[in-house]
Amino acid sequence: MNLKEKIEKHLLEVQKPSRYIGGEVGSVIKDKSKVDVRFAFCFPDTYDIGMSHIGMKILYSLTNERENYWCERCFAPGTDFEEIMRKNDIPLYALESLDPIKEFDFIGFTMQYELSYTTVLNMLDLAGIPIFAKDRTDELTQIVVAGGPCVCNPEPLADFFDIFILGEGEEVNLELMDLYLDMKRQGASRLDFLRRAARIEGIYVPQFYEFSYKSDGTIEKMTVRENAPATVKKRIIKDFDKVYYPENFVVPFTEIVHDRVSVEVLRGCIRGCRFCQAGFIYRPFREKKPDTIYNETKCLCENTGYDEVSLASLSTSDHSEIDGMLTKLIDYTAGERINLSLPSLRVDNFSESLLEKIKKVRKSGLTFAAEGGTQRLRDVINKNVSEEEIMNTCRIAFQGGYSSVKLYFMMGLPTETDDDIIGIAELAQRILDLFYSIEDRPKGRSPQISVSCATFVPKPFTPFQFEPQDTREEIERKQKLLLDSVKSKKIRVSYHDPDVSQLEAVLAKGDRRLCSVIYSAWKKGCKFDSWSEHFKFGTWLEAFEECGVDPAFYANRRLAFDEILPWDHLDYLVSKEFFIRENKTAHKSVTTPNCRLRCSGCGVNKAVGRECFCYD
Amino acid sequence: MLRLRAVFEKSGRAKYISHLDLNRCMLRVFRRSKLPVWYTEGFNPHPYYSFALALSLGFESSCEIMDFNINDDEMTLEEIRDRLNAVMPEGMRIISVAEQVKKITAIAKAEYSFSLVSEDVTGVYDAVKGILDESEILIEKKTKKGVKTVDIRPDLELVSCEITENSVDMAIRLPAGTQTNFNPTLFMEALKNYCNIPFEARKIRRTGILCENNEKFS
Ligand code: SF4
Repeated sequence: MNLKEKIEKHLLEVQKPSRYIGGEVGSVIKDKSKVDVRFAFCFPDTYDIGMSHIGMKILYSLTNERENYWCERCFAPGTDFEEIMRKNDIPLYALESLDPIKEFDFIGFTMQYELSYTTVLNMLDLAGIPIFAKDRTDELTQIVVAGGPCVCNPEPLADFFDIFILGEGEEVNLELMDLYLDMKRQGASRLDFLRRAARIEGIYVPQFYEFSYKSDGTIEKMTVRENAPATVKKRIIKDFDKVYYPENFVVPFTEIVHDRVSVEVLRGCIRGCRFCQAGFIYRPFREKKPDTIYNETKCLCENTGYDEVSLASLSTSDHSEIDGMLTKLIDYTAGERINLSLPSLRVDNFSESLLEKIKKVRKSGLTFAAEGGTQRLRDVINKNVSEEEIMNTCRIAFQGGYSSVKLYFMMGLPTETDDDIIGIAELAQRILDLFYSIEDRPKGRSPQISVSCATFVPKPFTPFQFEPQDTREEIERKQKLLLDSVKSKKIRVSYHDPDVSQLEAVLAKGDRRLCSVIYSAWKKGCKFDSWSEHFKFGTWLEAFEECGVDPAFYANRRLAFDEILPWDHLDYLVSKEFFIRENKTAHKSVTTPNCRLRCSGCGVNKAVGRECFCYD
Repeated sequence: MLRLRAVFEKSGRAKYISHLDLNRCMLRVFRRSKLPVWYTEGFNPHPYYSFALALSLGFESSCEIMDFNINDDEMTLEEIRDRLNAVMPEGMRIISVAEQVKKITAIAKAEYSFSLVSEDVTGVYDAVKGILDESEILIEKKTKKGVKTVDIRPDLELVSCEITENSVDMAIRLPAGTQTNFNPTLFMEALKNYCNIPFEARKIRRTGILCENNEKFS
């Protein structure tokens, strides 16, 4: 029985079987006898989530443009199918060819969130690929690589991967595959290849770097072997407007989380919120021209048949030509009966005619990321949104017929006091009062203010990387305080599990000593940690205990400015001095203006050799 | 406006597309084809199309039926068929497009073919003969109101039954349409209970949608 028959024999026993058999419109099938390099693009979560990921769509199409390279997709099976796979010796396979991924040249994971680490191990195991890099063959095949935002501190994963790809993958992925093909033809070994790969900018080969630790647990020093570079610099695309964008997406049969055309409008962020990793690791800010955005939207809608489009970016309203761009897009989508889903936009600088148009197409509710409950705290985190702006936007929304608002906050932020927590409840109350004070508010509908509180997670490459996370007890006390401060039933409060946030902080800021913890947690059955029904914190604690690793050392300790951090040898173009400076500024409750107003000298301009904006 | 009826095939990997997903899939097929399909009017306009019968997940078919309208009287039926086929997913193919002749309510039965794979093919074969000689075949059918016992014998027609090296290949007709729908798996379950010989049903395929007089529905 071949693998396809084996799969099909059991496919009707599982939930949503179309996720496991491929054949979707837009998927790329090649003749494998004519292919030189095979790349399995793995997403460490289920199909429904992974298929929504835009980076995968870009790199999938980009790689497949090359006739002799074949990129296929691979996702984590649901637990029902995993059980069947293990029982019937079905190895993890790629969806296009249905071939086992262990036969591939590259097995590439995209690391989007820390809580997917155990799932990576589980997928390698299901694939029949040795989990530890050191146990893999000496031959040049089965190179396990990872990219994505989490690899800005890949140390907790260092033992499992041969290569980490730092920064944007559009160019470097192909360079890596070219080198591979070249060396494969020469009959090189795995180690030969890794040595040469380490010289490509953006390529980090963890086994060439070694760490020693002081008795207090901090890093003593890092040593480099094999002539690998002492710091590895992330890659960026210089001309973002001309960067490759797919003309087609794989269109799934089953519904996925983001089931629509998604067009990237800009990369990077000008805001510099001090808790936000994305705001720093994707710098510099670059945008696409409205015409490019329009053409890509139209092309994708026509080729996929989707009737919904969304714009992907960290902050779409920061596009310098937002008005012209949206006007053009709304005219096109309305004419074609396509739904344009707009993110929360800052409405202050829109023309009246555009506002009218937006009103007509907007369906989603009103959301606001205020993050901090008081102006003081918002200044500390550099979230430059004032209460006046929040109130104005809510007023316009209520007058326009909205009756519900969703507010996002963070709890446990640096310098936070009980007043800031009470401030959250008070802000929600003032919005509620505002609703009742408006004459032409929506009649006959009860207002609903939802307050959603995440726990602050300190992340590498942010000014708050040095900050300790609140302990679980402290977070729970603050959650209770918030609940007690809310006076109206029309204000609904929800928050995240603090255990999840602590694990996130540990994995985000961890070093190589966490590899054994992750391995042990997986061995004990942890996987899909981001799904509340699978999250087993008790098991994680056992794993920490067993490996002699204290999670509080990573999550709840303040790092010294002069300490060697696990990610210090990785260069994301923003300097550590800048983060230290920003951290000190934060503690003075002083804000830093956005990059369009003034350059704050984070170092990116020096690294790319030009200014980010022209200032008159 | 052309009121059209397409007959299409659903096989291979496409058999794992559920009925709900098929709806979404066709919407995108129409959009990709850029055919001037007729949209419903009202608050939330969407292309109008409807499937005559739902097909169970995992079944193949060479005779699925979908009705839709085209806002253009000049287009040839072949052109419409070809433009749809150019954008269909793997495993799905429009066999023909024609003007609607009969009302959907004229559908009375459907024909299915399948293989019953077993170590004991003669046993299964004899059991098939045996069960069809019975005066009634009682099955438990789940309905919205709970489980109901139904006799499917009067409505079950045997079209063919052949024995091969490792399977019994059969074709049967069962009621289908807006009133009663019997799934061929009901027959297989009844057979399993009747004979107690293990077998596995494979290659279940709908091969015809028929009117009361066994004429092909069109
Ligand atoms: S160099 Fe200046 S303008 Fe550019 S991202 Fe850094 S702070 Fe902003």
